[in-house]
Formats: sequence, C-alpha cells, structure tokens
Amino acid sequence: MAGLELQHIEKTFGRTRVLHDVSFEVGDGKFFVLLGPSGCGKSTLLRIIAGLEPQTHGSVSFGGQCVDDVPPPARDVAMVFQHYALYPHLTVRENLAFGLKMRREPKPVIEARIAETATLLEIHDLLDRKPKELSGGQQQRVAMGRAIVRKPRLFLFDEPLSNLDARLRASMRVELKKLHQRLGVTMVYVTHDQSEAMTLGHAIVVMNHGKIQQIGRPEQIYHEPANPFVAGFIGNPPMNLFEGSFRLDQRQLEFLVGDLTFRFPFQAHERISANTGMATLGIRPEDVKFEPQGPGYVAITGTIDLVENLGNDSIVHMMVKGQSLTARTSFGFHQHAGESITIHVKNFHLFINDNRIPLPSP
Amino acid sequence: MTHRPVLLGGIFLAVLGSLCPFLWFILTSFKSQILVEAIPPTWWPDGSLVFYASALFEHRLLHYVRNSVIVAGSTTVIALVVATPAAYALARLRLPGKTWVLGGLLCVAMFPPIVIAGPVWQILERLGGLNTHWGLVLPYVSLTLPLAVWILTTFFHELPVELEEAARIDGCTTWQALYKIMLPLATPGLFTAAILTFIYAWNEFFFALLILTDPERQTLPVGIALFQGEFIMPWGEIAAASVIATLPLIILVLLFQRGIINGLSAGAVKG
Repeated sequence: MAGLELQHIEKTFGRTRVLHDVSFEVGDGKFFVLLGPSGCGKSTLLRIIAGLEPQTHGSVSFGGQCVDDVPPPARDVAMVFQHYALYPHLTVRENLAFGLKMRREPKPVIEARIAETATLLEIHDLLDRKPKELSGGQQQRVAMGRAIVRKPRLFLFDEPLSNLDARLRASMRVELKKLHQRLGVTMVYVTHDQSEAMTLGHAIVVMNHGKIQQIGRPEQIYHEPANPFVAGFIGNPPMNLFEGSFRLDQRQLEFLVGDLTFRFPFQAHERISANTGMATLGIRPEDVKFEPQGPGYVAITGTIDLVENLGNDSIVHMMVKGQSLTARTSFGFHQHAGESITIHVKNFHLFINDNRIPLPSP
Repeated sequence: MTHRPVLLGGIFLAVLGSLCPFLWFILTSFKSQILVEAIPPTWWPDGSLVFYASALFEHRLLHYVRNSVIVAGSTTVIALVVATPAAYALARLRLPGKTWVLGGLLCVAMFPPIVIAGPVWQILERLGGLNTHWGLVLPYVSLTLPLAVWILTTFFHELPVELEEAARIDGCTTWQALYKIMLPLATPGLFTAAILTFIYAWNEFFFALLILTDPERQTLPVGIALFQGEFIMPWGEIAAASVIATLPLIILVLLFQRGIINGLSAGAVKG
C-alpha cells in the first residue's frame, strides 16, 4: 500500500507556474527524498503534502485516501522546518507537549510520550529550557522530537540539516537514518544536498524548474541519469558534460566536440529520429583512469591544468584537445600542472534531445 | 568614542528641555498660594499640600480620574480587540489591495480632528451618544485603530511564518495559532499599541470637550481645564491635578516597558 500518493500536482502563484504535473508514489514506511536546486519547487511540494499550501490541480492521498479537503491539523503529519520553528515562549517540554495537548491526549500519555522521545533523542537535560538557550544542534533535536512525539503517519522534513555546520550535519544524517529504521514511518525529505539524498533515501525524486527529472533508487540515479541535468547535479565533482554533435551511420555513432571524436558501435534507437543532431556526452570524474586498462577503454591525451589534493583523493583538472575535463583518482597522484597525460575511459553517458541513450561499450 | 561626551550632553539637554515644564508644574504643585503668585518667582516650594487637597476634594479630581479610566480603558481594550485580527490578516493573508488598506488607514489617522468634529457630533446626537462614555469611546476607537493596526501589522509581519505553520501542523486552527502562538510572541507589540492608545484617550481634549458637557461624565483634561473660573486662574490646583493625572501614565509606561523590552521572539528562528 502506498503511504503517500501525488497525482498530477500543479501549482501556480499568480502567473508563475512552480510545479508541472508532478506525480509519484511513496511506499509505506519508505524514506523518500525530494532533491533539487533551490527554487525548483520541492519545498512547495512538501507544503502541499502538509496542506499548508493548496495545489492548483491534482490530488494528494495518504494510504489510499484523498486528503485534498483535509486541513493541516487533521492530516496527521509532522513537519520539521528548516529554521526549526520551535515556539520561543514555551520550554522544550511544552514544545513537545503542544501538539499532543491540541489533540486532547490525556496527561499521562503526554508525559509518557515526552519521556520516550527524550530518551530516544537524548534531550532529557534540555526539557526545562527555552529554545533560545539551546545550540543549533540541540534545537534541531528538539524540532525532531516535536515531530516524533506525535507519532504521525507521515514525517515531512524541509531541509532540516541545512543550518547545521558540516560535522554536525554528517552526524545528524546518521542519526536520522537510524531513527527511520527504528520508527519505520513514511518520511518525505526535501534537500538540495545530494549526499544527504544519496545516503538517506530509499528513493529520490530529482526536480528542476518544477518538473520531475527522474525518480529512482540512489544508485540508479547515479549510474543511469535520465538527462544531462540529473547527470550534472548528482556526483561530486560533477560529471564532465560535453555539448557536441552526433552522426549516425550504419552501426556506428560518432560524437564530435571540438577536435575530439568518439565512436560507439550502435544499434538504431527509438529516441533518435534523425541521423545527425546535437548531443551531450558525459564522463564521470571517477570513471577517468590514469593507467592503461583492458579492452574497451578509449585513450585520450591531454595536459594537466591543476591538481587538488584532498588527502586520500586527488582531483585533476586538465585540458583535452581544447576541452576541459575533471578527473578524480583515489590513488596517490604524482604528476603536476603542465605535464601531459593519457587518460583511459570506458563509461560514457550519452544524451540526445535531453534523453539518455544507452550505450554499449566502444 | 570621541563623540560619546557630545552625544551624552545632547541627550541630557534634550531630556531636560522636555522635562522642564513638568518640573515647573511639580514644583508649583507643592507651593502655597503666596509663593505661586510671588514676583519675582521663587524656585523652591514650601512643601504645602494645600493645592492637592483642594484639587482632590473641592474640585472632585478623583471623579474625573474615574471617568478617564473608564473611557481610556475601554478605548484601549476595544481598539486592541479589533486591531489584532485586522493586523494579523493584513500581515499574513495574500489580500488584494493590502497596501491600499494600510495606506488608507494612515490617511484616516492624518485627518485633523476639527474636520470630522461636526459629523461625529451629528452622528452621536442621532445615536444618543452625546454625554455618554461610549459616545466618546466610539470616536476614540476609530481614531486610534489606524495606529494600533499599523504597529501590530509590523509585529506580526516580523514573526516567522514557519511558527504559525508549525502550530497548524501541530493541530491548531488559524484562531488557535493566533492566540496560542502568535499573540504571546507579539506581546511587545500589543503593549506598545495598548500604551499609545491609552495615552491618546487619556490626554484627548477636543472631542471630550465637544461630546461631554455634563460634569458628571467629563474626563480629566476637560475637568482640569474647567478648574478656571470667570475671574480666577487656579494655577496651583491645576498643577497639582496635572501631576496626579500624569502619574498613572508614568506608572503604566514603566510597567509596560519591561514587557516591551522583553525580546520574547529572540531565538524563535535561528540566524
């Protein structure tokens, strides 16, 4: 059964359309991530799920039931906000109790739930403090607690970690994942941070300009990006994308960019209607090898521009026949800027008309 | 740092300048009749309480205080009860023509009282509101509402929307979110609006003189102004009465000041 289902959601503010025909389904108990750059409509989508914002068209259902006409207080969802939104005039304990009191839970139940949540999040010592007496990380925990304590049927997270520093963010990410494993409740998580999306999500929706670009498991989105946007958005450093042209003859597809030419054995494909046209070729920095490999690899020579040493990794920026290309290598890399180098690549991503075209190895 | 002494000196002079008339009144109120009329004037009073006794008992000052408390108190309560939801709606809802409403309110507040005095008097006469307290409260409320709405709108506007949304998701209706979460956080604004409304209604003279001719119902400013007889100007009694009339305001401001300063919304939202 689907925990959450969106059907053909559209949203316009005045004349601006911020969501275009968004549909997806979230399995019960799954951790679902909405990923995209800021302004892509992901937060608006979350607010539509919460009922804080009405959709212009389309429908939202929870567990098979349409909730379009259900106001937020009755939707039984909990939301963790980017800025936490703790009630500043209430203590942590009162903040946790607030939602339960509003739902007229008996007092012993409220106390038991608060105790349970405080144990889970280790915030016992903070219960009698006011939000402004807490650090950012502590406020984050309390905000999480306020969601957990209610035992809602759906958790919504709106970039909850974006205000924390990098170290705290990484540890909260782990805790969040553990929390989901313990509670087993459906969670929808909005973020612009791909590493949060990749590590947390059972499934990821990549959005841009109010449209869904791709829905899939994290590894699917990484290995088989549906279009150049997803390809460039996922991965660090981002995928090298070359805008060029293609020529199709008989059983071979030729991709040309500047002085570079790549040839792939190729069968006709339904998505390619013409024999020539514009195309985008992608190479992941981590797929670039510096040692000669087995058969199927293409060797290209170039010049090193800059080497960034990250300790165990090095990021190598180079020029290859007039095109700039970035590579990531996990071995000790000893060459320097200005030296010439030969790289070996096997995995290519080809996009024609913004669609992924599966490529056999050359 | 070099500007500091100059700044402090300036502040001291400004405060002294605005306090001077008050100081003179306070000094006068503690004088006896001979000292008040002495030429050349003397600074220091002889500590006589004659004028206070006269103001309180002969001129029935407490009776005017009571009337003023009723009028100013009701004006404040009614103005806030009406202004709060209005300001909330103006601050939060996507209303068409919102700026026009706020601008219009500001224009209304700018009207000189004399322009509307005639119509107000006629309306009150038809409604039977002349010489009643509510007949005075009504124009006071409409005259103070713009300011109250403006102050509260600014306050509600500054409170993060996320708080209200969190309250909605926690199970509040819009009204519950308003009075359980937003109002407690807007207390500094409520205090400010309340005290300004109260001061206005407490000090207002023109409409009070126009609408209340019955000495039983007159408020403090009118009452004190009518101390003067045909041939005498009882400066001493007026000074004593003015001191008594000002005291409640000073006490109120001092009490509310703590509420205003309490930065309740600090820490509501990080960053």
